Amino acid sequence: MNTYTAIRSFRFRSIDGPALLAGLIIAVPVVVTLLAGILNGGGEAWSHIRDTLLTGYTTGTLGTLALTALMTLAVAVPAAWLVTMYQFPGRGLFEWLLILPLAAPGYVLAYAYADLMGLMGPFQVAIREATGWTARDYWFPDMRSLPGLAFVLTCALYPYVYLTARAAFVSQSVCALEAARSLGASSARRFWQVALPAARPAIAAGLALTLMEAAADYGAAEYLGVPTLTFGIVRAWQSFGEPAAAARLALVLVVIVIALILTERHTRGRAGSQQSSTRWRNVSRTRLPRWAGLGAVAACALLFLATFVLPMSRLIWLVMESQGQIAPIGRALVNTLILAGSGAALAFVLAMVIALTARQSGLIAGFARLMASTGYAIPGAVLALGALLVMGYLGITLTGAGAIIALAWVYASRFTTSGAEPMVAALGRAPASMGYAAESLGASPLRRAVSVDLPVALSGAMAGALILFVESLKELPATLMLRPFNWDTLSVRANAYATDERLAAAALPSLLITLAGLLPVILLSWRLSHSRPGDTQ
Amino acid sequence: MKWYVPLAAACVFLSACGGPSGTSEESEAAATPPAEPTGLLNVYSARHYDSDKELYKRFEAETGIRVRFRESGAAELLEAMKAEGDKSPADVIISSDAGTLYRFKAAGLMQPIESDILLDRIPEHFRDPDHNWYGLAKRLRVIVYDPARVEPDQVDEYADLASANFEGEICMRSSTNIYNLSLMGELIDRLGKDTAEAWARSVVANFARLPQGGDTGQIEAIAAGQCSAALVNHYYWVRMTQGSDAQRKSVEKTMLSFPQQDSWGAHVNVTGAGVAAHAPHKEAAIQFIEWLATEEGQFLLTTETKEIPLVAGAEMPEGLDRLPPDFKESVFSLNKLGENQAEAQAIYDRAGWN
Repeated sequence: MNTYTAIRSFRFRSIDGPALLAGLIIAVPVVVTLLAGILNGGGEAWSHIRDTLLTGYTTGTLGTLALTALMTLAVAVPAAWLVTMYQFPGRGLFEWLLILPLAAPGYVLAYAYADLMGLMGPFQVAIREATGWTARDYWFPDMRSLPGLAFVLTCALYPYVYLTARAAFVSQSVCALEAARSLGASSARRFWQVALPAARPAIAAGLALTLMEAAADYGAAEYLGVPTLTFGIVRAWQSFGEPAAAARLALVLVVIVIALILTERHTRGRAGSQQSSTRWRNVSRTRLPRWAGLGAVAACALLFLATFVLPMSRLIWLVMESQGQIAPIGRALVNTLILAGSGAALAFVLAMVIALTARQSGLIAGFARLMASTGYAIPGAVLALGALLVMGYLGITLTGAGAIIALAWVYASRFTTSGAEPMVAALGRAPASMGYAAESLGASPLRRAVSVDLPVALSGAMAGALILFVESLKELPATLMLRPFNWDTLSVRANAYATDERLAAAALPSLLITLAGLLPVILLSWRLSHSRPGDTQ
Repeated sequence: MKWYVPLAAACVFLSACGGPSGTSEESEAAATPPAEPTGLLNVYSARHYDSDKELYKRFEAETGIRVRFRESGAAELLEAMKAEGDKSPADVIISSDAGTLYRFKAAGLMQPIESDILLDRIPEHFRDPDHNWYGLAKRLRVIVYDPARVEPDQVDEYADLASANFEGEICMRSSTNIYNLSLMGELIDRLGKDTAEAWARSVVANFARLPQGGDTGQIEAIAAGQCSAALVNHYYWVRMTQGSDAQRKSVEKTMLSFPQQDSWGAHVNVTGAGVAAHAPHKEAAIQFIEWLATEEGQFLLTTETKEIPLVAGAEMPEGLDRLPPDFKESVFSLNKLGENQAEAQAIYDRAGWN
């Protein structure tokens, strides 16, 4: 059904009510921010920000995105190619280990790496002690810089591209590759000229996700001292007390994010029908000769060590070293469970509505889904600003239940789509005839949704709920802006301790966040290793 | 598969009940509460030192007044008190920056108090002329330098940091930090906006690296040889002389210079307190601030922080003997630090000092 006929034949059905409500709940924060950015004057602070800071913020964000994109592609695509196409010792293990860095948010890696690579970190101290040099006698990579920020974000986010690229390589048409091989194309040539072009849409999708997350980052940029737009939004609100100026900055950031999405769509559109043969066969992995095999092991191990083991070990070491002299975080843990739980609960309901209505595709359901995926692309700081503005208009202060509701709302607005996906997938695996049978028996769309589709969707509900909870728990900028007074969460505590030079105290909440983040990632890995290629076809 | 149902229900329930209303840092100070609590005192503090908890306990033990405290960032406390309005439970506001105390006063969140004890003990330039807030401990923002590369007379003025001799030699923390904002607040007043901005620009031109880290980080950078001069509060340096082995090793490679000794004196700022505008326990609040100005209160307030007590005759915290015995400090209307705060940030921004 194309859009035109959909509009022509549109009539409001019982199922459209919940879908419309879900779509609106998700859309309001970003719409309010954008309207405020366009309509309000921007306040007194805006002229100062525009004249002295805007250029720096914009180049900071664009530079970080560009460098993160380059580094992510350079790391993730070869890694995916290696574990998909070649056989070497430990390949199966690395296949899922390489996803684990997704568990740690960028700001946690920033704390660990700034300390590790810093002036007083183990490497630089060892260099100075071994040589007797001072810090100006040698060069050492500076984490507190734009390249440092891009490096840290790459470590945290490359698995998105790794995952999509791997999926594309696994499900590619073997015929094309074998044809290339039989025509004498070298391994490198097969990669560059056959596999890579075919996988381009998938890689672009993964990269778009990576860059959306990178654009939304606040904690790492703030800690490493790189001015970006997201940092500017939080600061305009915090230091200048000017939501209107923050909304102007949000406008610029949203334009960049929309440009990202459009680029991704464009890439996907051009490469739509490259697969001429969809006949399915397992990719036969080439066994690497001994030395090449060891090289592959070393490359994968290095990637995993650098992006996950090394930074996490540093944090664990910091906790151990402080020997219990660490500020207690029990209260922050409780606050986190409550806030992330409320956010996940609201998002879960919305995700369920979206998954169920998407099953009976209609105009409103499409709208709700579109809003949900748009929300995911919008940085938390922007959504928080929208919620703040709404609260301001309604005269609700950020002291008690009002703030919890606002924060849950922002979490839901941002993350609903990631919770809806596993449920949509669960529904997709059920035969469509089930729904048709219900309809032919005279069930209303609402009845069909509740008694036929809902039980099916629940099989994806655990994964959905888990993802929603963990995403909410990792979130930093919106939590920082909206949490009720004295309701510090783990992420807020980690940020406060880290900026206060109490890294050992920041390490413990950081590790807990990462530990929670591991749950959905391990679930994902488990599915990955148990799904047969071709399942999605 | 239905494990999430109780979880979701619990979350909704907890949030509907409002949940716990406190913070990780909030608690009742009394580990061993006095037999008969005779009163209550709510402290909103922008400081976060373990020794403050000790201090609250001692006050409780001596007066029988139960202390409840909330610790948070100054800006957050300010916003929270505005939101709470006349229902705010706050009695005493403590902040470690005079400019911030001024902002509480300017927002109408403090009330003037008459106290002969405080007027007598706290020097005039360390308290609000309208008696809204009283300084209790002072700190100096001074130059830390590498004696192997820099002569003391090369760093005896703040202006020296802007000198072309120091190209690529200066380390600084971010300008959004309140210590740097307050220093600029004074420089604006002493030098005028244009000269102050020119100073900031020249300092930025001398940066060895982008602004980063805290005061301790600047001292470590000098010790490691990354740069040769920086600005720090005196107490970070003093604390390092009593810190870990690595910290002691670092700090002993550096020296402090108290600037402007031949002119207006080194930049000084205070930790101070005031009584909240709608304090439910005003008498206890005044009693508490007066107690902080006793010898015991002064000692407890400064023993961990290594700030300098303001009350004449109070015992100096251990380690302060490493500072010069005699120095000149700036005598200056500290409220101006608050008045100039926005301008100070704007100047740093224009100068490209992140």
